[in-house]
Amino acid sequence: MERKQFLSKGLTALGVAFVAPMAKACSKNDVIDSETEEAIDSSCTTTPTETEGPFPTKTPSSLVQSNITGDRTGVVLTAKIKITNKNNNCAALAGAMVDVWHCDAAGNYSEYGGSGMQSTNYTSVHWLRGRQTTGTDGLVTFTSIFPGWYSGRAPHIHVHVYNASGTSLLVTQIAFPTDVCNTVYTTASPYSSRGTQDTQNSRDNVFSDSLSLELATVTGTISNGYTLTHTINVNG
Amino acid sequence: MKLIQLAYRRVIDIESKAHWERYVFEDSYKELRMQFQLFNTDKKHITFSQLVAQVPEAEKLHFLVSAAIAGHISLLGKIPYVQNTLGITVLPFNLYRFEIIDSNINNKNAHRVAVIFYSAPVVLHEIIGEHLLVSLDPDNNNNERKMVQTELIKLQPFLSIYSIQYQHHATSIISNNILS
Repeated sequence: MERKQFLSKGLTALGVAFVAPMAKACSKNDVIDSETEEAIDSSCTTTPTETEGPFPTKTPSSLVQSNITGDRTGVVLTAKIKITNKNNNCAALAGAMVDVWHCDAAGNYSEYGGSGMQSTNYTSVHWLRGRQTTGTDGLVTFTSIFPGWYSGRAPHIHVHVYNASGTSLLVTQIAFPTDVCNTVYTTASPYSSRGTQDTQNSRDNVFSDSLSLELATVTGTISNGYTLTHTINVNG
Repeated sequence: MKLIQLAYRRVIDIESKAHWERYVFEDSYKELRMQFQLFNTDKKHITFSQLVAQVPEAEKLHFLVSAAIAGHISLLGKIPYVQNTLGITVLPFNLYRFEIIDSNINNKNAHRVAVIFYSAPVVLHEIIGEHLLVSLDPDNNNNERKMVQTELIKLQPFLSIYSIQYQHHATSIISNNILS
């Protein structure tokens, strides 16, 4: 592809070159940019070096990551969430974007502190929030920590499922088995300083009428971590 | 001695030309349209300002959408557009804040956002006309009678002093030079 043509396609073309975040500003010899051009250049000639300004690469959203732990500490939790399509006999739904977010061991969510002009450190602010896209098996996997709890709610993980074009399909939450929560909240650091949750699933105003569909299977131990498995059925 | 943090606010819209601004514009618009749906449950609202007026929780969108652009900001290294009098961007930063000024999920042209960059602390020595005489390494200003490298930065629209800290050195020559 001609350089000008490549550039004229602008952000769409660059979108192909999703790369890991880079610590330093990129030089004009940026490897990723060159690779992109070479990959779509059928003539197999040496890619010319050109100046494209200080920002030749496009970085992915910091939401798009499988390990969402950030700087939080707690018991390791691997969340395996399968998205199925009610409109296709509950077959696995590929290409769905799945956002998850949950609170830390102390019951806090990542967000801007305060209001107005307060500054934010971008390197650590989006902890315990992430996005993955389902494969053909409908699965996404996140590595995180076991969520804590806050007053008035049973422990939970928020989930927002979009189709491949970004249209919202479902906003829901995943509940945790009480016996596992009791173990974590009474024996594992730093959860044990707060003790057990003040709201049971059966008394939670989100889960109480639909717990059977929203309760995850959670197995494991505090030392080895826990694995959560859950299936979410959407109108895909 | 005075330590200050400078803040610079850059508004980004459909007219923005720099690569990083285009990325911030495109990615923040895409992310806003996705996360807008979380708060627009009755699908009645089209603009960001409408949504926030009716659903105060939607103020979280400033933060939530910022995740889509944090990578672009991290590549900048220095606060853009704030140059010394030699025309070089010199102010490092590691803090920023993203805000959505307004947007319309059906009209990208109405999407306007801003990024406020906060500099690392710098030493303010003097104000010379419309220029701030600063040095970038606060740890290197404790020795009196020592030459320190300085930068002359012009005050300009959207550039402000965000915070200030007074540090007193009884015998410091520097303290005699600064504005009191």
